[in-house]
Amino acid sequence: MKNLKPILMILTVLALMPKWAFAGSVKVIANSSVSVNSISSGDLQAVFLLDSDSLGGSHVVPVLEKSGPAHEAFLKEYLGKSDESLLAFYRSLVFTGKAEMPKFLGSDAAVVAYVANTKGAVGYVSADTPTSGTKTLEVR
Amino acid sequence: MKILRSTLVFALTVCVGRLILHAQEVKIFDRTVQMHGFASQGFVHTNDNNWLTMETSNIGSGEFTDFGANASTAITDKLRVGAQIYDRNLGQLGKWHPELDWAYGDFKFKPWLSFRGGKIKTVLGLFNDTQDLDSVQVFALLPQGVYSTDMRDATLSHVGGDLYGTFALNKRLGKFSYTVYGGDQFQSIYGGYPYLLQIHGIYIESSSGPTYGGDLRWKLPIKGALAGASYEDNSVTNTGQLNPSVALGGPDVMVPYWEQSRSQYTKQYYAEYTRGNLKIDAEYRRFWRDFTIFNGQFVATTGTHAWYPSGAYRVNKRFEFGGYYSHFTEDWVVTAPGQFEAASESDPSRHIFDKVVAARIDLDSHWYAKIEGHFMNGNAAGDNPQYPDGFYPQVNPSGLQPNTIGLVARTGVNF
Repeated sequence: MKNLKPILMILTVLALMPKWAFAGSVKVIANSSVSVNSISSGDLQAVFLLDSDSLGGSHVVPVLEKSGPAHEAFLKEYLGKSDESLLAFYRSLVFTGKAEMPKFLGSDAAVVAYVANTKGAVGYVSADTPTSGTKTLEVR
Repeated sequence: MKILRSTLVFALTVCVGRLILHAQEVKIFDRTVQMHGFASQGFVHTNDNNWLTMETSNIGSGEFTDFGANASTAITDKLRVGAQIYDRNLGQLGKWHPELDWAYGDFKFKPWLSFRGGKIKTVLGLFNDTQDLDSVQVFALLPQGVYSTDMRDATLSHVGGDLYGTFALNKRLGKFSYTVYGGDQFQSIYGGYPYLLQIHGIYIESSSGPTYGGDLRWKLPIKGALAGASYEDNSVTNTGQLNPSVALGGPDVMVPYWEQSRSQYTKQYYAEYTRGNLKIDAEYRRFWRDFTIFNGQFVATTGTHAWYPSGAYRVNKRFEFGGYYSHFTEDWVVTAPGQFEAASESDPSRHIFDKVVAARIDLDSHWYAKIEGHFMNGNAAGDNPQYPDGFYPQVNPSGLQPNTIGLVARTGVNF
């Protein structure tokens, strides 16, 4: 029983670590046409897993990064999928006709530019990226 | 020569696929059209019985090729249209006859209510609609008890309409997704069932009938957990030609043939759990059919029970491995003279128990290779098979052995 306590503490710390590690490392941005200013993590997941294409009555389309720290952090924090399993998931929708492949862009700057200029676009970038021309959505 | 042809087709597809790998979008009349494709080439070797309608027990067989390509576009924010062609050659199945895999319009009214109409991949269990998509699986062959590649046509798609959507009754309870559908099924005459019937002198030329069904899946409040149930009802009529001399001892002529289902359904229950790089699936499928056969002379009932647990773990960006145990048993009654099944399901002619280990390597994000071992007990066929499950007398004229060890290698590309 004495040995169990430290093990439980370590497990608790490990379980909470991903949230600490990634909190604040990525921010969610949207085109100014998107009517909401905040989004629940559940709705964010629904948008990026193509379950939902609207937020607060606005039509939305997700845009992702191809790789990089913001991409890794976003996948782990909000989608709970690895890069490979997310691609497999998208392919299973694309090859059954249930959705189109979302756009993948190569850098934070490219995502910001695309979101700023595309009606309904929702993306994510590293927290320290300048995001002029877009609105930052608070994730609840 | 057959291996050479398969290899050439695959090599050509790989070259073309890789050339256009990044050209997935084109503009047509100011509209963005997405185009995607995939192709795979397999090789199968077995130690004893010939498997999957191929001569696998000598060197092995490479008659295991498939490819598909699609185009889709959004007409409005709510309406999307698209179509996909698919072709495959697996030994005596498919035989390079291309088919319209799906083609439909999809209108999203609300997240909880949408409609698609046309030719649609049928949602049934975890993988019915994606069973041809080798690139999204760790396994080269899905658990064959539930997703028999010989019987893929029986449940694959329907021409009709789907109502579907996602909703949450209470956020603490997770989310529910549903699909209900109705329409007609048009089954390939190059599938396992028509091939099986040839041993009785029956040559199917048309197979179709109405179908309806539904699927309800629950994303549990536990992160990564999913559970669901599916049901499909079919009413199939097969027509073609019969040579009575083969099975009934009549004259050696061809006469018109028909058979019809009086009752046919598939029930499926499933669960999935994903956490990090670990994925665990389990499914149970019950298939039942009651058919009048031989132009209404006899009745055949066939029931199968199949289930599997499977697990897969991605070690890193390149490498993933997995395994499953597929459990399949069948029981049948045919009212024709001299038709008896073995008394017990423990007889090899009434079951297949398949233990599988698999590994996948992703050479890049569009090209992968897989290798897997199958350790099978039983063939669910014997001298008088009733359900297409991989083992056929036509390619095993000396009879079937109770155990089979198989090696499956498969590589594929997608863009």
